[in-house]
Amino acid sequence: MSVLLEILVYLASGGAYWWWTQNLTMFGLAPNLIFAAALSAAILAGPVKGMTWGFFLGLYADMLGSGVFGGYALTYSLMAYGVYVMKHHFDMDSPFSQLVAALVLSWACLLFYQGLSMVFSSINPTGLKIFLAEPFLNALAVPVVFQIFYWLKRQAGIL
Amino acid sequence: MSREKDAANYAIVFFVALSVIFLIFPASKLAHTARIAVSYSLYPSMHYGAKYGHFVRNVPVNFLALLETDQENRALKDKVRALELKLQESAAAVSENDRLAREMRLSHALPWTGSWARIINKTPADWYGSFYIDKGSDDGLDVNDTVLGMQEDRAGLAGRVLEVYPKFSKVLLLTNSAASAVCAIAPSGLEALVEGKGTWLLKVNYVPEESALAEGAEITTAPGGLLFPPGIYVGKVKKVYPRESFMNFITADVAPAVDVNTLKEVFVLKRSLPKELLAAVQGASK
Repeated sequence: MSVLLEILVYLASGGAYWWWTQNLTMFGLAPNLIFAAALSAAILAGPVKGMTWGFFLGLYADMLGSGVFGGYALTYSLMAYGVYVMKHHFDMDSPFSQLVAALVLSWACLLFYQGLSMVFSSINPTGLKIFLAEPFLNALAVPVVFQIFYWLKRQAGIL
Repeated sequence: MSREKDAANYAIVFFVALSVIFLIFPASKLAHTARIAVSYSLYPSMHYGAKYGHFVRNVPVNFLALLETDQENRALKDKVRALELKLQESAAAVSENDRLAREMRLSHALPWTGSWARIINKTPADWYGSFYIDKGSDDGLDVNDTVLGMQEDRAGLAGRVLEVYPKFSKVLLLTNSAASAVCAIAPSGLEALVEGKGTWLLKVNYVPEESALAEGAEITTAPGGLLFPPGIYVGKVKKVYPRESFMNFITADVAPAVDVNTLKEVFVLKRSLPKELLAAVQGASK
């Protein structure tokens, strides 16, 4: 039952991101809800489940995008592993630490994905506007998404 | 703890390996076609971008043809919409052309000379009172020139020029409550005063009670009126009111010959009245 619910939450996360980018963008910008979901899952879940969420959310992002296929899957899997390591050293439960982590990891992910794209397909996927602005939007989105996931974990036992 | 760490290490190696496989072998037809189908459904606009060639590499030709058909269909729908708009504009132009041709034909048959003018402004607050036309003193229009409208293949009295400016003029409609004209009622030729009521109807006044005023009787301008040339169709008697006990004349409603609601162009008559008479007319109209 909880697996079905997790699949539902996974699809809802991707769907919400897609709907937001279609209807609520401001100046072509929107928070990356898939990233926020991957980070929240990595914070809340254990290492294997966190990485599984990161990998499949990354695949979802890869399906939506036109860049290198598997790029986001690799990026978010590594991010989940990084969060697992960081959790031993930092308290990731408070909104402020989530905000800072989201800001830093957003830039790290964008740079890493940029590098992958340059290596595997010689295309430059990230514009300067997105590079400068999206991490801040992600930083605002992550604590909210985290609270939703936390509530779902307590209520439905997912993650 | 160590077990969890091991699991985490195995998991990251597994997912990194899987991702790298996807990265290195991204062009398998099945994976790529599935991806393009999903993303095309969600983001069709991305296919117009510069990455199109990279994006559709190795996709089966029949699937590409399907996508192109979809895009062609969107372009054709846009074209159809644009053509429908043009068609509507053309229909309006044809209708205007028909109307103008009919009016021109009618004006040639009139015994008076004059010029056509287009109505450029109607004021909602004074709908049955006045409107503006696009001809003025530069075009030879004078105050009190008679203004005709063409309705149902017949010229009818619309009003007279009230104010003249170089490029435009104001027309006082006969339906204005301040307007009136001396008219003759068919068939007897009985003269009476037709006045505006500020509504779409006119009123004929001062008709002797013994006269045989019947509904449907045609009213034209009378030779006795100075403002308008005689014989212009003014309207038809619509309803005759019985004589009031304190009056010795009867009144009637008149449906005007010209419906201001459908009027778009008017014909302004040029008359060469003697100067003395014109002065008298202008004195009377003030």
